[in-house]
Amino acid sequence: MKQAPTLPAAFLHPAGQSMPEPLLALRKQRGTALVDMPLPTRKTENWKYSSKYLKLTDDMAISLPAEGKSGSSLAVPGYRVVFLNGVMMPEASDYPDLDGITIERFGDLDDDEAAELADRMDSTLGDRSGQSAVQMASLNSARFEDGLLIRLKPEAVLDQPLFIVHEVTADASGSAYPRIFVEAGRHSQITLVEEYISSGGESVMVNTVTEFTLADGANVTSIRLNMEGDNVQHIGATGVRQQRSSRFESHCVGFGGPLRRHDLQVRLEGEGAECKLNGVVVTQGKQHYDNHTTIEHVAAHCNSEETYRNIAADQSHAVFNGRIHIHQDAQKSNANMNNKNLLLSNGAEIDTKPELEIYADDVKCAHGATIGQLDKTSLFYLVSRGIGRREANVLLTMAFINELVQQIPVEQVRETAQTRLNQFFDQTFEGA
Amino acid sequence: MLSIKNLHASVNGEEILKGINLEIKAGEVHAIMGPNGSGKSTLSQVLAGNETFEVTEGDVTLNGENLLELETEERAREGIFLAFQYPVEIPGVSNLQFLRTAVNAMRQHKGEGEMNAAEFMKLAKEVSRQVDLDPAFLKRGVNEGFSGGEKKRNEIMQALLLQPKLAILDETDSGLDIDALQVVSNGVNALRAEDRAILMVTHYQRLLNHIVPDYVHVLAGGRIVKSGGRELALELEERGYGWLGVKDEEAANSAN
Amino acid sequence: MATTDTEVNELIKREYEHGFVTDIESDTFEPGLNEDVIARLSAIKEEPEWMLAWRLKAYRRWLEMEEPDWAHVGYPKVDYNSISYYSAPKRKEDMPQSLDEVDPELLRTYEKLGIPLHEREKLAGVAVDAVFDSVSVATTFKEPLAKAGVIFCSISEAVRDYPELVQKYLGTVVPHGDNFFAALNSAVFSDGTFVYVPKGVRCPMELSTYFRINAANTGQFERTLIIAEDSSYVSYLEGCTAPMRDENQLHAAVVELVALDDAQIKYSTVQNWYPGDENGKGGIFNFVTKRGACIGRNSKISWTQVETGSAVTWKYPSCVLRGDNSVGEFYSVALTNNYQQADTGTKMVHLGKNTSSTIISKGISAGRSSNAYRGLVKFGPGAEGARNFTQCDSLLIGDRCGAHTFPYIESKNKSAIVEHEATTSKVSDEQMFLCRQRGIDPEQAVSMIVNGFCKEVFKELPMEFAVEAGKLLEVSLEGSVG
Repeated sequence: MKQAPTLPAAFLHPAGQSMPEPLLALRKQRGTALVDMPLPTRKTENWKYSSKYLKLTDDMAISLPAEGKSGSSLAVPGYRVVFLNGVMMPEASDYPDLDGITIERFGDLDDDEAAELADRMDSTLGDRSGQSAVQMASLNSARFEDGLLIRLKPEAVLDQPLFIVHEVTADASGSAYPRIFVEAGRHSQITLVEEYISSGGESVMVNTVTEFTLADGANVTSIRLNMEGDNVQHIGATGVRQQRSSRFESHCVGFGGPLRRHDLQVRLEGEGAECKLNGVVVTQGKQHYDNHTTIEHVAAHCNSEETYRNIAADQSHAVFNGRIHIHQDAQKSNANMNNKNLLLSNGAEIDTKPELEIYADDVKCAHGATIGQLDKTSLFYLVSRGIGRREANVLLTMAFINELVQQIPVEQVRETAQTRLNQFFDQTFEGA
Repeated sequence: MLSIKNLHASVNGEEILKGINLEIKAGEVHAIMGPNGSGKSTLSQVLAGNETFEVTEGDVTLNGENLLELETEERAREGIFLAFQYPVEIPGVSNLQFLRTAVNAMRQHKGEGEMNAAEFMKLAKEVSRQVDLDPAFLKRGVNEGFSGGEKKRNEIMQALLLQPKLAILDETDSGLDIDALQVVSNGVNALRAEDRAILMVTHYQRLLNHIVPDYVHVLAGGRIVKSGGRELALELEERGYGWLGVKDEEAANSAN
Repeated sequence: MATTDTEVNELIKREYEHGFVTDIESDTFEPGLNEDVIARLSAIKEEPEWMLAWRLKAYRRWLEMEEPDWAHVGYPKVDYNSISYYSAPKRKEDMPQSLDEVDPELLRTYEKLGIPLHEREKLAGVAVDAVFDSVSVATTFKEPLAKAGVIFCSISEAVRDYPELVQKYLGTVVPHGDNFFAALNSAVFSDGTFVYVPKGVRCPMELSTYFRINAANTGQFERTLIIAEDSSYVSYLEGCTAPMRDENQLHAAVVELVALDDAQIKYSTVQNWYPGDENGKGGIFNFVTKRGACIGRNSKISWTQVETGSAVTWKYPSCVLRGDNSVGEFYSVALTNNYQQADTGTKMVHLGKNTSSTIISKGISAGRSSNAYRGLVKFGPGAEGARNFTQCDSLLIGDRCGAHTFPYIESKNKSAIVEHEATTSKVSDEQMFLCRQRGIDPEQAVSMIVNGFCKEVFKELPMEFAVEAGKLLEVSLEGSVG
């Protein structure tokens, strides 16, 4: 049998040594575990539809320079942190000292704090021995050069959204590994917005991990906006662990690229915990986007609600894999998953796999998935009322995702998303 | 007919009924009223034999026979009928099939022959008209996609079909508009008979305007704290439960 | 509720009714598999050269393959060399010329199974081919079928008597190297059924095969090939049972269906292989490849299955919808109890224009069993206007079992529409209480609720099978409701 290709060794040389010893040790340990790691292939269940888009070359192994000027002109309301090529830029960031909330770079932690963090890192991402969804996230653990630890004391409330702008400057081939860890204390509250953008045109990879732990009653909203260029391969993972009666809400809006992969894993570990996961994906040209979500109902009386919509135009390819796993003790679980897909062109492809794995009997679980095109009757109806064909297409396509866009609780994100969506409509329905 | 003596019952170790005493004779209609959480529904469930509730003390006899020793279905065959507060849906099982199975189980118990499909259909149609339910409902799944009012009418229709000795109506009036209440009450009044007793459980006395009871009992804190005639219900309507030294938990909760 | 759980458990515990061993003389190969065994098998069956060559090609391919491990099942490794690949009831004469000449012991076996061949002939009008261990023992109704031009015989006979047909179609739907178990079957298949319905013929009666594994340590590898020519129609039923044995037994069948222009094939299965005892000991490993090809325009293939047996099931009756306007259907009830594991579902591959498919799957898990639906709906670029509807429901009885759903949906055509829905629920305490309060026995209540859950599938079964299927569920569930 043919040997599966393995991760090029060049990827296992992290730069940036200004970090507390426990974190350097963690990085080294994760790196060792990745030596000769087979890269995902078509036969890797979790990468079945996406492995062909993953193209790692040796020159991409180099860390992008942690310097330069952010090209970001994003005027963000609220608080802001800028990561440039995986390293935080203090001069571009702007957040005040807040009562009960600490926002610290990994490099500024003392050894005890760092040891405690190292212990908890990756703990939200489940079983690393499994298939390579999480193995690719491990690459971040082996390579991160900077990171942000955000801690909320019990009952601390962040009064405005915290924006984290992740920017890469792709003036040469290379990669970046930003890392965020959020600890939300009991009954604390935070809205975190992560925006991924890029400049430059060389082939680069962004490999990013964001983790959240929610103590009892904590309330966290995570918004993720992926708008990097067509030269950026993006592999991201978000891990969440929720304790009793906590609530996690996620809004992911993603535009396609040469490879886009986001793994979102939520573990409902305390009774009464709740999560709501929304996602919108739009792909065009030869773009790709792959969302993999897992919701683990570990404790009883938890609710999860998941809604994802994909739109694929031209020759693009969108993938959704949602898994709900109800553990044996998770009685009285309520889980709903819904995935709808719009295929706008015959060259495009959509693959979806909504999975249920259930080991408790007193549960209510349902999932639904559809793939289709714009409804011809509706189109005709609009056109018959004098609306132009192009406009009618835009209206109906927007209607397909509007509900999810409107649910994003930060206006600036809605606007940014809408601007990008409008570009997409212009390119997809030109003059039609 | 029904005799309840010092009945205690608990759920998950918490005592709900704390010594109920009640005598019901054939031909009588009794109403049990009380604030939410007083144990009204528990009493009806215990009488019907719901195993979620554990009887810890006391006796219940139906025509001299020990009811507590019987399984749920045996009690039903002896003539206990419970109209559920929240009727249960059974998707895929048609009302007709369900009812015929039930009726034939009863007939078999009485040593009567089974009813064939045609005979039963005729009977069921007749009864469904009595509660103003379109016979088309007979072909639908048990309570599947029924509105609240339709479910309640369906319950009364079943009582009419099964002809019980003791019909227990648990909050049968809840969620009904005035027209539906009228229809349901007519159905219940049609049930009234010399050899049959009716036990109504209700929070409000509204229902009692339509189905006039012979006796009214106030249940609070798991005990019957006052019994009287029809006039007791009116007094409760006017004065609430406070004058009986009973805390109305619902009122207390809504005040919080 | 504790009490109802107990009742359910008692319901579930009812014993396997078909678990007797038939004491008859049989010719059985020593366990083991190699090219010699295959050559001997081929020789006994007096097969032509090409057949042996095909078997050997499959065997060599099989040797290079790995046993699949992706299904949601776990079982001890099968030692393929400890299995005997041929067991035939020893005949007093050469071949029975009619039913009267069939070993009476064997006939009694069928009677015990509830398939009295004599009676069937008279009453049901069903033509039966009975496969006992590895060989076909009797085929009824050959004459009236022959009059209609329908060929209904064992596949061994077909290889000898209709070599052109067999050669033309064998392996065209499930190639010899399709998957591990299909390759094994292609190498060692011992018998099975062959059906050929000529152009324009509506097969005058239901065709039926009963399979039974009797001998110990034998595998059963039957092969079924059904060809429906233009504008023809055939409805085919199969039923399966096996005696109780402590060790696991392997059943790796292949079924190929070919439907040409305007042809229809309806294939129904009631599978009741021995599931193992209540502690999970013994039982059949049922690793089966079933696939139908709608080659012709407007053709239709419909799979209906009621699966209550086997220790481990790995089975995905599928349709390849190649002809324009062709239709694929899959209706399934899979019930698992005790330690049974099932990973079953279907694949609907839409290639032609305006092809449509429907999938209705009802999984019922009780005891400590595991029941998974795995399905693929795929629209190729040419599947203009294609449609699929999938409904996948699971019912859980008790809190030690698992119910899983793994649907794969892939579309490359914008005008294709797929809708997939899945739900999971349980037989609730409230439903049970309602039924009992109305005087209905718990057993009857469970059976009524489960039958209601399966109604959409049962209505697809031929009448007599629908009754049998309902009863089978009742038996399999005895002792299980909570």
